[in-house]
Amino acid sequence: MKTLKKITTIAIAVLITNGFATQLFAREMSARDIIEKVYNRPTGDDMTSTLTMTLINKSGSERVRKIKQFTKDFGDVEKSIMFFQSPADVKNTSFMNWTYDDPSKSDDQWIYLPALKKVKRISSDSKSDYFMGSDFTYDDLGDRKVDDDTHTLLREETIDGVDYWVIQSIPKDEDYMYSKTITWVRKDNYIGLKREFYDEDGELLKILKVKKFENINGFDIITSSEMENVQKNHKTTMILDNVQINTGIPASKFTERMMMRGI
Amino acid sequence: MKTKLTAVLFMTVVFGYAQNNVDISGFARNYTSILYDNGDFNMLQNTLNLNFDKMGDKVAFKANPMLYLYGIDSLDFRMREIYLDLYFKSVDIRIGKQQIVWGKADGVFITDIVSPLNLTEFLLPDFDEIRVGVYAVKLDYYVGNSTFEAIWKPVYAGNEFPPPGSIWYKPPEFPAPPTFDNSKENIKPSFDNSEVYLKYSLTSSAVDFDLMGAYTWDQTPSMYVEKVFGFDTVTNQPGLTGLNITPEHHRLYVGGGSFSSTIKSFVLRGEAAYYNGKYFQTTDPLAEGALVEKDYMHYVVGLDYGVGHLRLSAQFIQKAIFDYDEMMNDDEFSNTMTFLAHYDAMRETLHLELFSYIGLNYGDALIRPKITYDFSDSFNILLGSNIFVGDKQGMFGRYGDNSMIYTKIKYNF
Repeated sequence: MKTLKKITTIAIAVLITNGFATQLFAREMSARDIIEKVYNRPTGDDMTSTLTMTLINKSGSERVRKIKQFTKDFGDVEKSIMFFQSPADVKNTSFMNWTYDDPSKSDDQWIYLPALKKVKRISSDSKSDYFMGSDFTYDDLGDRKVDDDTHTLLREETIDGVDYWVIQSIPKDEDYMYSKTITWVRKDNYIGLKREFYDEDGELLKILKVKKFENINGFDIITSSEMENVQKNHKTTMILDNVQINTGIPASKFTERMMMRGI
Repeated sequence: MKTKLTAVLFMTVVFGYAQNNVDISGFARNYTSILYDNGDFNMLQNTLNLNFDKMGDKVAFKANPMLYLYGIDSLDFRMREIYLDLYFKSVDIRIGKQQIVWGKADGVFITDIVSPLNLTEFLLPDFDEIRVGVYAVKLDYYVGNSTFEAIWKPVYAGNEFPPPGSIWYKPPEFPAPPTFDNSKENIKPSFDNSEVYLKYSLTSSAVDFDLMGAYTWDQTPSMYVEKVFGFDTVTNQPGLTGLNITPEHHRLYVGGGSFSSTIKSFVLRGEAAYYNGKYFQTTDPLAEGALVEKDYMHYVVGLDYGVGHLRLSAQFIQKAIFDYDEMMNDDEFSNTMTFLAHYDAMRETLHLELFSYIGLNYGDALIRPKITYDFSDSFNILLGSNIFVGDKQGMFGRYGDNSMIYTKIKYNF
């Protein structure tokens, strides 16, 4: 009897881990659960990378920003620090952000401006701000909390042999800059491969496409993405290079000392 | 001057040759300014700013020569900074000429007293250029998010003031012809004359704050005035015929601190310092040298607000003299406010800004609107104005004839 029970347990476990079972399992998952898995997809305890952000306007001219960034999860707080390497007028500027798991707690943010030789605490409440003139807002870059929106599973789709959940997210705050977003979530790795953003009038505003993800140290890391503002015909590409995961970045990296010292 | 230029060229060539190891950056800038009052060009300046940086795990260095060309051939060379950094596990040491910035206030200098100010163009230069580098040894000891900082400044450096002939030179009105004795204006570099600054600072989720103390020199000299009495040849009466004025510095003890904290979309900032040993000018006939020693408090409270691409900031600043007597030339309370509105448009390529100092004692102000457009990531043009208004007795109103419009064209590399 014991043997039979053990075999049954193993069989269930195998089914759950197989793609076949994923759909069965998903039916029990709410759209919120899926989005939570998208937001909290494991990416290691710490990460070092170089971000190249290219802003492309409608005439095709490009502006390039290069940033060296470090991120570490400390449990109840995730700390990140960015060092701007180009363009020349922002070189050696650094930015530090502490994001708390407690949804009632706002992020803490500091900026170091080398010309002023001073670290300044700045307000972090405007998540709708665009990051460095790009098409990404701070929320788009991952600062948004799961329960800021109401999530609904619209349908399931298969595109090029890949299965997706298509989930609509409507902000609880009616004054938010988007009226809704629709996300195509890959069932096999919980990557939101495509996301459409609709403006306050319900018109399509932006489309986010994940162009490339790579498995690095056992974690699926998005290394190339593109955000296009279809109303303004402007887009921003983000390329992540030199990605290193779980190298044991010391806590001392996320301090005012390092902001001022630079890299 | 030729030697200094040769040195800069030498550095450029050597570091340029070794540029795989040394990072070279900086800017070239043209700054042209016209006075509203008479159409005179009060500024025709071209600037070359060079930064040579070498960063290592244990050691780093920086050299920052600046060349200012005024008009056609008046060249001013400044080595703004040149220092070595030594990095240890919990300690950083910086040795050399360096700019040191303290405090949380913007555009006012309360605990930010380590680096003196270049006031030859009043408060108009960018804040990175208004500070004068000082020869110092700075030691920072880090424990978690706390920092203990100690600075030893063996060579005195004082505020720089506009020379006679400058539009910013506004000497007081003397009741008799003055004769200046500058023999005590310079302070001899020696161990006894050195200055010490200490600071503890903490960065935390709730609040950032620091506490500071300093044993320093007053960076603005006091004017020791000796009255000369004689026979007035005009009135044929005995009376005041001259003034012997000796600028001299005094020691100051300063203690203070600053903080900043986030409240929703606001950042609340404060900074205060208590100054002991300051000499003020007085009309008291019994006061020796027309000077009286008084303590004073200087503080600021500020609030920043950011929404979207708009940043707003306001500060209230007060200087309060303790044990005040009515014969002092300074006001017992000097109240000033600052306002800043900054807006970024067109994907952060167009920047609109309005910054104002408002003197509340005399109802005067300095209003500084400017608009900057980034033609590319490295090249921008700025059009701005500095407008002085209000009572001529106020520190801003007295420059009422100096209101100007200006452009700055800058190339960063």
